[in-house]
Amino acid sequence: MVLVILRRIGIFATTGIVASIVTFLLLAILPGNAARIALGVQATEADVAAQATAIGLDRPAVVRYLDWIGHVLVGDFGTSAVSRQPIGPDIADALGITVILVLASVVLALLFAIPFGILTAIRQRGPDGAIFSSISQIGVAVPGFLAGLLLVTVFAVTLRWLPAGGWVDPADDFSGFIEHLILPAIALGSVQGAVLSRYVRSAVLDVMRDDFMRTARAKGLGTARALFRHGLRNAAVPVMTVLGLQIATLLIGAVVIERVFSIPGLGSLLLDKVALRDLPAVQGIVLVLVVFVLVLNFLVDLAFTVIDPRLRSES
Amino acid sequence: MRAPTRRTILASITGTLIASLALVGCSAGTASTDGGPDTTLTVGLLATPGNLDYTTTAGAAIPQALLYNVYEGLVKLDNEGTVIPLLAESWTVSDDGLVYDFVLNEGVTFSDGSPFTADSVKFSLERVKDNWTANGPAYLDPIAGIEAVTDTQARITLSTPSNGWLFNMTGPVGTMFTEAGISDLATAPVGTGPYTVSSFKTGDSLVLAANADYWGAAPYLTDVTLRYFTDATAQTNALLSGDINLISGISQFQLVDQFKSDADYQVLEGASTGEVTLSMNNASDAFSDVRVRQAVMYAIDRQAVMDTVSSGYGLLIGSMVPPTDPWYDASLADLYPFDPARAIALLAEAGMSDLTVAFKIPNLPYAVAGAQVVKAQLADVGITAEVTPLEFPAVWLDEVFADHDYDLSLIMHSEPRDVSVFAAASYYAGYDSPAVMAKFAQADAADPAVYVELMKEATRTMAEEASANWLYLQPAISLADADLRGVPKNTPSLALDLSTIAR
Repeated sequence: MVLVILRRIGIFATTGIVASIVTFLLLAILPGNAARIALGVQATEADVAAQATAIGLDRPAVVRYLDWIGHVLVGDFGTSAVSRQPIGPDIADALGITVILVLASVVLALLFAIPFGILTAIRQRGPDGAIFSSISQIGVAVPGFLAGLLLVTVFAVTLRWLPAGGWVDPADDFSGFIEHLILPAIALGSVQGAVLSRYVRSAVLDVMRDDFMRTARAKGLGTARALFRHGLRNAAVPVMTVLGLQIATLLIGAVVIERVFSIPGLGSLLLDKVALRDLPAVQGIVLVLVVFVLVLNFLVDLAFTVIDPRLRSES
Repeated sequence: MRAPTRRTILASITGTLIASLALVGCSAGTASTDGGPDTTLTVGLLATPGNLDYTTTAGAAIPQALLYNVYEGLVKLDNEGTVIPLLAESWTVSDDGLVYDFVLNEGVTFSDGSPFTADSVKFSLERVKDNWTANGPAYLDPIAGIEAVTDTQARITLSTPSNGWLFNMTGPVGTMFTEAGISDLATAPVGTGPYTVSSFKTGDSLVLAANADYWGAAPYLTDVTLRYFTDATAQTNALLSGDINLISGISQFQLVDQFKSDADYQVLEGASTGEVTLSMNNASDAFSDVRVRQAVMYAIDRQAVMDTVSSGYGLLIGSMVPPTDPWYDASLADLYPFDPARAIALLAEAGMSDLTVAFKIPNLPYAVAGAQVVKAQLADVGITAEVTPLEFPAVWLDEVFADHDYDLSLIMHSEPRDVSVFAAASYYAGYDSPAVMAKFAQADAADPAVYVELMKEATRTMAEEASANWLYLQPAISLADADLRGVPKNTPSLALDLSTIAR
């Protein structure tokens, strides 16, 4: 187990550093000058050059990179090249929002996928099973941003039940927070829910054919009790694998959904900072995203060993 | 045995779904319970400030939020574009136009409690030259000296008479600061205005609260939230769903008619200072010949461009001057009527009948839409325009604005009174006319009586020499809840002046 964790940490560090170098290189060759953007159209070339020196843009790329990564390793994300404000607090705020959004959409996706998947599995041969199956197909096909726009049109613009966008901090106003969370979480979670429900369905179908299920039924358990007591735990393993992979997708989806709903999360911050060529900020955000995905995958791996004792002995 | 069991499963599934729906239902709807009149307002805006310091950060977003609301100057610009007193109660100008004596309002304090005096004037204006890196510190170049005569009398001496100087004092460079309040301009502004900043989250919102100790008439609105959107559709949806009450300066003009027919909203149409301009690189091989530039003037049906890009809203101007400027000349809009045959003849005369130009546009919706119409109309007179959208601001600023590496571009110039800026030889338009620049300088130093006339002459020469094709003036259209009163119609300055808005 210690070895596994050590290896994980090694992968963490390597992936993080590789990602930061790739981001740095890509941004370095991108045209655009943070100093000119900060000073605007009224600045003279001399002003721009002075600003570039002030924010260290005139140093060689290697020096800039090493300076940045050195500070990040001690927890200092540096100063924005455009607004000259510390980047760390901005990233922390935005990350908090994105994490809440992603977790809420995972919960919604599971709330939908597990019952719906089981339902379509047991109703596999009936006409209603086919209908349920088509519903989840449509869910897979509709992109999150479109779902978001539709939800806003119906529930915010037409019915005025919920706000069209924005974000409220749960500490300020909890019911406002929930109201602002519902539509984006549904938009982000709907595709994942539909995808997951199809995995749940096939996992349940597989499990129902297993010998131990037949044994359980032979002992006198009904379908439902056999499924709940023995089947679901086995069906959960493949579903968890997919879920782990999907969380990375959700983070990318969050970038789009945050735009649609004007949510100041990590995705919005990233797009803003790229537009401004705010190199230190973009690097910081990408690094945080990479670490975030790695941590989540690690947690999913850990969860396997909890669900499935067989994996515990293997590791 | 089978049937009841399956029902059990279904029941539990249905239960879960109902429970989660109920959760959704419970939290829906908001209630406002306090009995008094609603003195709050939420405004939806598109460009977010990165910080709150406009002395070192460019862009319209910071002055839009803070100028006249949190910060004030000696003078301000009213909604018709007239310079009116603000912190200065009155002023006199010496006969030679060099000495301005300002009488300051008494009893004015900054939001940190420190008093506003003539020393604040001296401190603030002297700071511009050395400490400002953005928003045009050069605007105050005419100032030779600032003297605090008494606490309420400030004397500003100019090195040369300047008619434009006092107007520039209505903008960001004229802002009055207190020495004690500049330590954290980026996050904690201290001004004399009717509002103070109560919270700011970049990319999300800026909350203003009425300044209880304001020296002037208290504003009607006590709490104003400026909410920032990155997406124009999200912004209009927020208005339709009641999340926000006002959009100042919409960009989705195709939606205006929908709002006009809805009794819950009012549509305010005014003039902006945004000239949507088809810029020609006067220094390029293609456009250094005035006949080629004039051909582009005759080749473009500006009304058609305006119809496509802004659903017909806007104003054909024919120069870089909006109607809120005193030297606006309405006749310039008709200087070059749409006449493709004339354009073809001019191109033939210039020996440029088969011309190919690099048309580098910012990747902004109006520019992308407008470029398609322009490209088609240029093709009709034999000019092939190769359209390249460049990321805005990053790449466009570098390639077109700084390096002048383009033939044609299409961009809105939103700064107020920027006609003389456009004529400068070093500007990206490459229009090098010493005569016009001399005329602008002469106008600025002239007797106020002939100032406007000289400005008109220089502006007309720029149009006659076809230094650019000013397509139209961007409409300033605001959408607001029907019960709002006093919403500013025009946008003659960068500021979004909240002081006149009431319900």
